[in-house]
Amino acid sequence: MSAATSTPKNAANATGTLERRRVPVRRRLQRGSAPWLLLAPGLVTLAVLLLWPLVRVLNLSIQDYRLRNLIRGDSNYTGLTNYREILSDPFLWGTVLPNTVGFAIVCVVLTMVVGIVVALFLNSLGTWWRSICTTAIMVAWAVPAITGTYVFVWLFDPLNGLVASTLDQLGIMEAGSWNWFANRWAFYAIATANVVYHGFPFIAVTVLAGLGTVPKELYEAAALDGAGPLSRFRSVTIPGIRPILAVCIILSTIWDFKVFTQIYLMPGGNGTNRDVMNLGVWSYSESFAQGLYGRGSAIAVLLTLLLLVISVIYMRSLMKEDEL
Amino acid sequence: MISRRGVLSAGAAGSAALGLAACSGGSGGSDPTDTEANADKTITLWIMQGTNAKTDEYVDAITKAFKDKTGATLKVEVQPWDGAHDKFVTAMSGGTGPDVAEVGTTWVPEFADAGGLDPLTKDVDEAGIGDGLVQGLVDAGTLDDELYGMPWYAGVRSILADRKILEDAGVTEQPGSWDDLLSMIETLKEKNPDIIPFPVAGGSIFAGMPFVWGAGGDIASESGGTWKATINSTESVEGITWYTDLALKHDASTAAASSWLETDSLAAFQQGKVAMFITGSWVPATIKADDEELFKRLVAFTIPAKDKAVAPSFLGGSLLCRFTETEEPELAFELIKLMSTGEFATQWAKDTNYFPGEQKALDQVVADGDDLTKVFAQQMTEGGTTVPVTPAWGQIEGKKTLSTLFSDVLGGTKPQQAADAAATEMDKIFGG
Repeated sequence: MSAATSTPKNAANATGTLERRRVPVRRRLQRGSAPWLLLAPGLVTLAVLLLWPLVRVLNLSIQDYRLRNLIRGDSNYTGLTNYREILSDPFLWGTVLPNTVGFAIVCVVLTMVVGIVVALFLNSLGTWWRSICTTAIMVAWAVPAITGTYVFVWLFDPLNGLVASTLDQLGIMEAGSWNWFANRWAFYAIATANVVYHGFPFIAVTVLAGLGTVPKELYEAAALDGAGPLSRFRSVTIPGIRPILAVCIILSTIWDFKVFTQIYLMPGGNGTNRDVMNLGVWSYSESFAQGLYGRGSAIAVLLTLLLLVISVIYMRSLMKEDEL
Repeated sequence: MISRRGVLSAGAAGSAALGLAACSGGSGGSDPTDTEANADKTITLWIMQGTNAKTDEYVDAITKAFKDKTGATLKVEVQPWDGAHDKFVTAMSGGTGPDVAEVGTTWVPEFADAGGLDPLTKDVDEAGIGDGLVQGLVDAGTLDDELYGMPWYAGVRSILADRKILEDAGVTEQPGSWDDLLSMIETLKEKNPDIIPFPVAGGSIFAGMPFVWGAGGDIASESGGTWKATINSTESVEGITWYTDLALKHDASTAAASSWLETDSLAAFQQGKVAMFITGSWVPATIKADDEELFKRLVAFTIPAKDKAVAPSFLGGSLLCRFTETEEPELAFELIKLMSTGEFATQWAKDTNYFPGEQKALDQVVADGDDLTKVFAQQMTEGGTTVPVTPAWGQIEGKKTLSTLFSDVLGGTKPQQAADAAATEMDKIFGG
């Protein structure tokens, strides 16, 4: 492709600008439009699925848009009031944002570490055992978030759960004497376990695929030079799979920032326990539970902006060289 | 998600407008009993899933009766409660809604105010079915002197207990006051330290509210068209304090219960870990289906007020509403009439263990019912009450203001402080 496109360009340069002007407009249009025509189905689909909703959310976020507006189909523009109210709300800065950001950081780090360790482990196995183990962890990934969350809620049920009754039998604490769902830190510890458990298989399998692309000779060469396992990992493996790690980190960050189901379905997570609210639940609570669609949209826009900023920073720091 | 809703509404609003324009000529003045003219008309009805174990039989019977009476076809769609609110909202904005639907009492003012429901006052008066309705349900469905939903069925909460556990401890009397209830709980705890005498479920607001009401407090009060929160009044806070102290000071509950919903209390009760708890009049039927033995041991008490045996308790239920976008308002009302009065109303109540919305049918159900039914019926007729009837309630319910209040107090916040916070939040919502 690159050879084909560069040839006429070089030819044009060689024979001067006059030559280039002689290409008929129609042919140039045809040539120019062909890629766009081929891209059109994809672009139209993307526009319908992503762009139009994005425009609608932006549009809603500058309105005081409630159930009655939705039903009557009228609009009610209020400028930046929603943004002003949200950004001046101490609840955002004191509870929602720290919960969202802190939880995401912990989850991304843990998911990446566990994912990479599991990938290295899988990589060291023979084909047979690797397939069995990969299948096993893929099951964890395939479990829907709702089901997985209920399993964790049951495990940690303060009265009857496996964890409580085990601790009870060990004589550490009496079952039902402490409600960890009511405590912000314990609540998020359980949510973290749930999210990491659900998130690491994807990372592990993706990194495993990446490990296969690192040339074996590099390891041999490094070993000959006297590099131990740790420095081989740091100097050979990491640079070899850096683009894949970057994609994994960006994806997990996005997933862990907008986590909703895993919080909403835990006891008190639906807005009853305000201490544990995150941006996703807050946006849902405002827009769907309370019918303040404008406000909920504004929160969603802020969440998107936050993710954009983080993604850009990642891209710049992780993709310094032309790796992608 | 928000955006998807936006697209749906934008696209569907257009089609709804077209639909209305196309059909406006046909409606108005049509005779709902003209079976020939109605032969090719269809009415869509939404009812909620899980209320009636014999839903299929009921649907067959009502479809046939409606066809016989009006000639029109009835299409019944059974909707799950999960996400029902969202579904109604989408349907109302998109013009894809039913002609008639069962709507939970606390949602009616919100939907009516938003313009999704049709007033029924005139039709009800003309049909002469407006008298003898259960007042609590009428109140819940009335906004600005217009009735937006015909009472269909109702339920109320009282105390349900396991007679065996109570007899072992020697406490089987109906408590006549808070003091009686407390001494009952203390005896239960003393005789059987392993049992949870009376769980205080933080996420079950209608288990807590009878104590606020029973102390003379309330959620909010209206004067001159404006609502103001009274959840932080001296009486309300006294009720909140007394109720939560059962857990915090008297060891009546378990720490786990501070994030329990009513269903969690029920589960613990069915496992035999709980002696008595506050639950709905529809629950004995559920227990019967799961555990016949436990059902036989059930005994009910009215929730006591501070100094009498019956405290106000939330009377919830469903109203039958006609949606504004219906093309056949007369047929739609005919269906509402058929379902909410006479034989079909009584049948529904019997099948579901709810109380009918018509006083006459209610009296019949109580007369035929067992001891449990009589206790719940007493709570309903003497103490049935409702939440503030204002469109703002939907938002307060959505924001979980009251659940937050109860679970915060159970988590250690001072009752007055938590109540003040709840009041501030509510006043802000009342103010728009």
